Amino acid sequence: MKILKQKKVATVVLASLLTISLTACGAGDSSTGSSTGGDNKAKVTLELAISKSSQDSAFIQQDILDEFEKQTNVKVNLQLIPAEQTTTVLQTKLAVDETPDIIQYNLASAVTDLNLERNFEILDDEPWASRIVNKDVLSAGGHIYSFHVSQDTGMQGVVYNKQIFEELGLTIPTNYEQFLAVCEKIKASGITPVFMPYKDAWAANIWPAAAFADFVAKNEPTFFDDLNSNKKKWSDVPEFKTFLEQQYEVYTKGYTNTDVLSDSYDMAVGKFLNKEVAMMFMGDWLIEGVAEQDPSMELGVFPIPSTEEASLGASPLGGQLFIPKKSKHLEEAKQFLDFIASKDVAQRIVDSKGYVSNFNDVTTPELPAYKQDIVDNYITPKKTVLTTDAFMLVDRSELYRLLQDQFAGGLTPEEVLKSWDEKFSQLMQDKGVAGF
Amino acid sequence: MKRTKNLYSYYMIFPALIIYSVFFVVPAIAGFYYSFTDWRLDRLELTFIGWDNFKKIFSDKTLILALQNTAIFALVTVVGKNVIGLLLAVGLNMRLRTKNLLRAIFYSPSILSILVISILFTPMLRTEGTINQMLEAVGLHSLSQAWLTNPSIVIWTIAIVSIWQSAGFQMAIYLAGLQSISQEYYEAAKIDGASSWRSFFKITLPLLLPAININLMLTLIGGLKVFSEVYVMTGGGPGNASQVVGTIILRSFGEGNWGLGTAVNTLLFVVVTIIAIPLLIFMRRKEVTE
Repeated sequence: MKILKQKKVATVVLASLLTISLTACGAGDSSTGSSTGGDNKAKVTLELAISKSSQDSAFIQQDILDEFEKQTNVKVNLQLIPAEQTTTVLQTKLAVDETPDIIQYNLASAVTDLNLERNFEILDDEPWASRIVNKDVLSAGGHIYSFHVSQDTGMQGVVYNKQIFEELGLTIPTNYEQFLAVCEKIKASGITPVFMPYKDAWAANIWPAAAFADFVAKNEPTFFDDLNSNKKKWSDVPEFKTFLEQQYEVYTKGYTNTDVLSDSYDMAVGKFLNKEVAMMFMGDWLIEGVAEQDPSMELGVFPIPSTEEASLGASPLGGQLFIPKKSKHLEEAKQFLDFIASKDVAQRIVDSKGYVSNFNDVTTPELPAYKQDIVDNYITPKKTVLTTDAFMLVDRSELYRLLQDQFAGGLTPEEVLKSWDEKFSQLMQDKGVAGF
Repeated sequence: MKRTKNLYSYYMIFPALIIYSVFFVVPAIAGFYYSFTDWRLDRLELTFIGWDNFKKIFSDKTLILALQNTAIFALVTVVGKNVIGLLLAVGLNMRLRTKNLLRAIFYSPSILSILVISILFTPMLRTEGTINQMLEAVGLHSLSQAWLTNPSIVIWTIAIVSIWQSAGFQMAIYLAGLQSISQEYYEAAKIDGASSWRSFFKITLPLLLPAININLMLTLIGGLKVFSEVYVMTGGGPGNASQVVGTIILRSFGEGNWGLGTAVNTLLFVVVTIIAIPLLIFMRRKEVTE
């Protein structure tokens, strides 16, 4: 009996020892290459973490990294993170202070996933900041947190088939009544006017995200500040209800595919290629996807026609660079951004990728037709508005589910906004935001 | 002599025990602890908050709905998988020429991953999908449904897919049980003039109890832990209509609410234990030996 007890004790001790040694191993790994010795004085190595899905990113082309190393004697080491684990890995790295020196991530998601304010440097005073044309696409909470040479964010609105519009003699609708009239004419010609793939709940958010933001920008500029300090609620704006009703009405009037809750986004490209549908509330990435399959397709995008002369929705840019506050080589990391922002390097990147330049001294190369349209009609005359995603500090998936529920017949627009108020306030409270 | 033999068995168990402790016991205990804290992605200083997470679970409408859905799913699948599995087993235990082929056919869905099954069924269950087309072809228009997008039936649809997949597996266990019952009992019953119904209830069922117990446990625990089929077919939707405890845990983690997520997980663990262990003890007592 006694022996048995001793064994038990021994087992526990051994198990805990093993646990400790395992943890110790993990901790010992933290020495991110700071100095590599050699004859010349300590050479700095920057750790740049990006998701594997962004491995064709403009920032990490080897020739650019080599040139940077030659000029500054700072090496950039890439950490490729598996795409499906990017968020978790970065969250963990930030949490245990094992931060990379530079991170490539999406601005809107960084706000919710990575605790932007706490973890990342504000870049308002960087030398390149004054040359930025469109600060909005790099900013959150009024500060520049991220870096990119392009202002070419995903533009969100109504993606439409120009050829169908031409054949039917239609013009771009500028208000909701005109939009319904356009739908009616398309339907009469035997084509489905609007494709709604709301099996993917997020897709139901394209209409409200742009419509809400456009209305707020024009009528209640302080709304998002008030919202994030609990002075206002989503259900306080009666127009929001109207916008949700509009989107639902497009469906109830029979202008969409019949099975909106079974159809998913991945079917969209095929539907456009087959000319089964004429329009969809989506981002311009859909146009890129269609063009890849069939370059002869002519698609364009116009603003969500929720109100008279609405602005085109701009999603916060994907794949910007961020510098963590706890970066071990803050200066060198900023130096890297300076280098890429330099007129010569930025011009090369913009040219090779066909970006809309975001520096006032770097020229935009010739763009695909749809992109040129967006630039001429919306970006240059400043008729774009950041979608609501840019202003929300919490995980938005519950909102998407509520929108989906509206189409399942479970909730009225009013109930959608009420339920989102509740969930929003709970998420903000969990987050510890003052006022909730 | 005896002592060394004992020691030897302990040495052998050591590696397994260590791995089990490090990768299961320690995380399980840690998870239990974390479910009482406000562990969050953006607040790394943990505070002990007592029962707050659990209070939150029971005040959240979606979580309540998820518990209901999980209960419905577990109940429907336990009954469905076992009744159908038993019927198939009894049927295929008879002297049929095609019995081996039929056994293979009924068993085959359970070889596939439930993920694959769910992906295959999703388009079939669309409003204009194969299932509805088949119903309409045989004149059952009134039965055609928005199987996965009608909030009031979606959880039932998923349960039926799960039954379809797994009933063959239950059948295999029942078949094994049936074949361990000696034919002598049936012969004796026949001589005594018992009907086949009577011998089924008086001989087959009691002697099959060990197999029934195993199947009930497997299906019940599987039912309460349901995740994959819901995640693939609906993602908990439309809206939150088909959320189950498993998808709620995922949702909580996605929202950065790690403490709450582990609390839901702990709750699931407790619920499964509370239901499974008494049931196991109760059923064990009913078992008879040949």
